[in-house]
Amino acid sequence: MLVYTARRFAVAIPVLLAASVLVFLMVDLSGDPLSDLRMQQPPPSPETIAAAEARYYLDRSIPERYWLWMTGIGGNGDIGLLQGKFGPSVRGGPFDIGEQLASGISITIRLVSAAIVMALGLAIVSGVISAMRQYSKLDYTLTFIGFLALAMPTFWLGALIREGGLWFNKTTDTSFFYTIGANSARVSNMTGWEYFLDSAGHLVLPTVTLMLTSYAAWSRYQRTSMLEVLNSDYVRLARAKGVRNSVVVRRHALRTALIPLVTVATIGIVGILEGVVIIETIFQWRGLGYFFIEAVKAKDTFALMAWLMLSGTLVVLANLIADVLYGVLDPRIRYE
Amino acid sequence: MENRRKLLGAAAVGVSAALVLGACSPPADDDGAGGASSVSWIVNQAGGGWNHNTPEGGSVYVIQMLHGVLPVPGHWDPSGEWQWNTDLLVNTPELINEDPMVWEYEINPDANWSDGEPIDADDFIWTWKMNSGNEELCADNCNSRGTLLTAQFESVEGSEDGKTVTVTMKDGEKFPEWFTFAADGLYPAHLAEAEGFDLDTPEGMLESSNWFNENPIPISGGHYLIEEGAALDGRVVKTVNEDYYGDLPNIEEIILEVNTEEGSWVPALSNGEIQGAAPASWSDDVITQLEDAQGVEFGIEPGGSWEHVDINMDNETLSDKALRQAIFMAIDVENIATRTYGEKFPEIEPRTNHIFDNNSEFHEDVVTELGQGSGDSEAALEVLEDAGYELDGETLTLDGDEVAPLRLRYTAGHVAREIIAELIQSDLAKIGVTIEIETTDDLGGTLSEQDYDLMIYGWSGTPAFASSPSQFWRSDSGSNYGNLNNSEVDELVDKAMNVATPEESAVFANEAAALVAEEAYVLPIVSTPVFYFYDTNYLSGVTDNNSQSRRALWNQHEWSAVE
Repeated sequence: MLVYTARRFAVAIPVLLAASVLVFLMVDLSGDPLSDLRMQQPPPSPETIAAAEARYYLDRSIPERYWLWMTGIGGNGDIGLLQGKFGPSVRGGPFDIGEQLASGISITIRLVSAAIVMALGLAIVSGVISAMRQYSKLDYTLTFIGFLALAMPTFWLGALIREGGLWFNKTTDTSFFYTIGANSARVSNMTGWEYFLDSAGHLVLPTVTLMLTSYAAWSRYQRTSMLEVLNSDYVRLARAKGVRNSVVVRRHALRTALIPLVTVATIGIVGILEGVVIIETIFQWRGLGYFFIEAVKAKDTFALMAWLMLSGTLVVLANLIADVLYGVLDPRIRYE
Repeated sequence: MENRRKLLGAAAVGVSAALVLGACSPPADDDGAGGASSVSWIVNQAGGGWNHNTPEGGSVYVIQMLHGVLPVPGHWDPSGEWQWNTDLLVNTPELINEDPMVWEYEINPDANWSDGEPIDADDFIWTWKMNSGNEELCADNCNSRGTLLTAQFESVEGSEDGKTVTVTMKDGEKFPEWFTFAADGLYPAHLAEAEGFDLDTPEGMLESSNWFNENPIPISGGHYLIEEGAALDGRVVKTVNEDYYGDLPNIEEIILEVNTEEGSWVPALSNGEIQGAAPASWSDDVITQLEDAQGVEFGIEPGGSWEHVDINMDNETLSDKALRQAIFMAIDVENIATRTYGEKFPEIEPRTNHIFDNNSEFHEDVVTELGQGSGDSEAALEVLEDAGYELDGETLTLDGDEVAPLRLRYTAGHVAREIIAELIQSDLAKIGVTIEIETTDDLGGTLSEQDYDLMIYGWSGTPAFASSPSQFWRSDSGSNYGNLNNSEVDELVDKAMNVATPEESAVFANEAAALVAEEAYVLPIVSTPVFYFYDTNYLSGVTDNNSQSRRALWNQHEWSAVE
């Protein structure tokens, strides 16, 4: 297993290198990051524009810029992925891409971890129930809800859930749910409990939205997998031996049926980043999704490259983890 | 074994909960004032730097964040009149000499920064050096975004303990809007010195400029003080500056929230999370939501930006003046105005001057007389026929050759410009001109590369106009994208900048605009309307001000909370 993991790591390096070339070229050739500066009124002097071009390395050739972006050699000390420096942001000196990414990750993790815990829990429960009561009214109802959540555009689902929160607040004359941001402004004056309530009030609506978008697909996987296992010989044998149904389902069937979900979910968790882009925009969370959208709007090329490389790395890692987990969870699979 | 599994399960749940509620303990700093009257206001884009003199910091968003923190000598009121800051100045600055131009500020002796240091000539001098465009005063041009006025200064000097500031322009240089010097706010020079920057050296000035750009200003020379933790892309909390030298504001705390998602504004307003906004961009959807909202006041007025159609003079087909004139005559601007913004703002009217809004005291209609924007395709065809063109069915020909299709471009995703483009396409089809509509994701790049035949875009401005004609039309201006090359226009735009009063300047600006209209280079469409809204259950005294970047925040010190 160790040899396999090491080999997969080694393969990941050229994959990431190829990704870096693609990411760099696609972003670098997509437009002029200084176009907003050039359009400013009154127009900046040619010296100011030339200084900006030098600051953002736009006075260098494309191969030079790629080399700089990767290594930082020959730069101003603010660039070089291999040195952990992402390059200067066109949004100005105070905007440190590395710091903003780190801050975005911590906020996104808060949102995503809550959504994943809820989505996985709900997907397992509804998948198992659907499988146990195949073709019953309950199965059809859960299937309908799943497909509805799958079919609904995330931005629409988010807006609906936000309206639901507002309706709840109005109906109960409370202000439990918040619709923008991860916290209120005056958290420093709050007690621990107040802070908890404030965080929860901000967390619920985006989490439910994100949870629903992931739950739907996972519950379908869980249902299919559970059905397959319930019809297998070893489950029939257990039942024939007189083992109680709840024990058969919980200990014998569910454990095996969880294996595909674990691998699907591992990759799916990275896929959630896509959903986060929209949900963080709707609810104005300053996470990775918001970082991406704002980088696109500002034509902040180095910030975009950083986000894309982070996503690429996470996908490669998630694939690796999924493969390894498969081997760990399923004793029939052995890696040479 | 069973117990260990349960323990592991419990631990897993615990870890998940910890992740979910991560950071669910209040931040340690606990020195916030917690104002009794607190207003949350939306800023609809992030800022790029704390120094508004730089390109990154020079956005309306940063100017809104810094408003009430940096002292200003004066401002434009909602009617477009210049008003001096009578809290800061004890005199009404006037020109005391016209050649060279000299004026003086007498600063209120009680006017201090919140750290007790006086607001004085050094702060004016810092602003001058920062924007002087002079390498001997500030290295690398200090990364200044605008040196137009300040580059013409010979000196800025202090006397009377620095409480009198005398500005002298270079011999032969004049500028009609001299009073706008430092209008976006003065920075505390003493703070830069305390940080160790030698402001007498160009390098020290540059370092101080960068330092101000990277750090929110910790002291105030205005009504409000920025609290620690302010973020240009997040939240800026401003609390009352108790040491302010004038009347204190009623609202104790103003929280500026960067919020880029317009769909969230009205829900957040009705949920009490925000109290208002004056967004920089137009949105039919938000206005529709506001129309149905309870306890909300909102207003719509023509803003500082204006939409226009520009022609690429280097295009071979469009190098024929008659064709350009006919194109502008065939475009029905009134119809465009109605169909773009008219539903929500029926008062909208076609803009008839490139420099001055229809409500400006200097406005002269320079396009109607020429028939431009009238949508009169018959008159347009007459012009074309006189120039030798023939309309054969739906095809326009010149000397037997079909007039080539023209590319009309605009920024992708801009709803109003999409409508404008489609209407222009339809109007020009009536005179046999085929328009191919193309969008661009890179407006600046497309303009500077002249990668268009006709282009729809906007300029924004304040009532300060003197430099605009030169910027738009001077043959060597980097913003004269369509490459108008007219020596008469060049002469007039130079004169507009080099006189002592706005009245004199306006005469030249209008003459230049008339020549540009005659050339059929730029067709003004409309002054883009803007809107603002606020929660009347919570707030009173809010009015919008389209004459300055601060918009409705301009009189934040006069707002009060509803009892």
